[in-house]
Amino acid sequence: MPTDNTPDDLMPHPSFVTVDGLEGHLARVELPDGITEDWPLASLPPGVKEGDVIRLTVHGGDLEAEIDHAQTRERLTAAQAGTDALNAGAPTGDVEL
Amino acid sequence: MKRALCLLALSLGLAHAQRAPAGVLTIRFLDVGQGDAILITSPEGKSVLYDGGRSESRMRELIRQYDVPSLDLIAASHGDADHITGLIPAAALFKPRFFLNNGVAATTQTWAKLTNILKLAGTQGLPARNQVLNLGSVRLTVLPPPAGMPAGDQNLNSVGLIVQYGSFRALLTGDSETEQTRAWLRTLPAGTLGPVDVYKSIHHGAANGDSAAWLAAVQPRNVVVSVGPNNYGHPTGTALNLYRKVGANVFRTDQQGTVTVTVQPGGAYRITTEKGAATPAPARPTPAPVVPAAPATVTYSNCAAVRAAGKSPLLRGQPGYSSKLDRDGDGRACE
Repeated sequence: MPTDNTPDDLMPHPSFVTVDGLEGHLARVELPDGITEDWPLASLPPGVKEGDVIRLTVHGGDLEAEIDHAQTRERLTAAQAGTDALNAGAPTGDVEL
Repeated sequence: MKRALCLLALSLGLAHAQRAPAGVLTIRFLDVGQGDAILITSPEGKSVLYDGGRSESRMRELIRQYDVPSLDLIAASHGDADHITGLIPAAALFKPRFFLNNGVAATTQTWAKLTNILKLAGTQGLPARNQVLNLGSVRLTVLPPPAGMPAGDQNLNSVGLIVQYGSFRALLTGDSETEQTRAWLRTLPAGTLGPVDVYKSIHHGAANGDSAAWLAAVQPRNVVVSVGPNNYGHPTGTALNLYRKVGANVFRTDQQGTVTVTVQPGGAYRITTEKGAATPAPARPTPAPVVPAAPATVTYSNCAAVRAAGKSPLLRGQPGYSSKLDRDGDGRACE
């Protein structure tokens, strides 16, 4: 995870990561390139949940992490719509593969 | 249930990977590091991939290594990245007819990529419900998440699968946690779960997965822990102790590589590993030494199997002897 002394010019724009899962005191976080990393849960906002999109910004050399509720909702809505579309018309009863 | 004869064979350093042989059921617990990926191939050559691990490149390697010709169905036990990432190349390469899933979308790019590729492939989603999938002569019974699981929790909405071929049974339940397994115990008809010959450890051996009550119902003879280097302490001592207490042999993909179960028509089965030996069940007083290319060790699930094989009584030190078969502890089992 970027450290608190990350210079502003290394993160001029907000960056977004997604919480893939929580494992005890760690969060498995999906980075913008799709790779996952384990971050200390303590480095994320209190009350963070699986599926939350986290906005990372640097202000005056300090890294700030906050849950982006709007983006989380948007992502979830889009992902659920895609999943529901994929599952529409699924056969019932036994299936011969 | 008919009694199956389990032959545990060691193939140290002889991981001559090849296509699953015809005429038998092959279940491979693929070594994908920290994650799950189980490849099931029927005697007729039809295949299912239940979870795909955390790495696209690793799954491509394994597909090449095991010369997988096709996939009829891929399944995501749930939407976590260490279970679905490897399904992406599998979906792109094989364009499977069906995608079994829990119906709970994840917000990750990995989930979006997988579902987009499946859409392009023309794959039909199968939301988990009480349903049987016939993979040739192999019966796959879907265990949907019980009603009432929290909608936003992937682990608690894991999709289970019971694999049956002859008298052989295997059980896979993703990353279920105790809240889910308790609900399954409440709602599944008696006898649905165990005993099972091969069982995939829940959630890579996490402390919040398997429980004594659940394992009492599952009655696993062999447990496979699908695990790799990790920061979570998997597999935990808690889980490993539970497996010891039920007398199961324990296999670990981090120590033994891919674990392969080969099941003959009727249900007799054999377990081979890429490297190393299984952790023997505690019922065995002295673990057999690890000898490269050793002949198969016979294990009897109960005295009926011993008698059926004409080996009664079994004396301590003889192949197949186990203290769990020797109730009075006099060194003579199944007298």
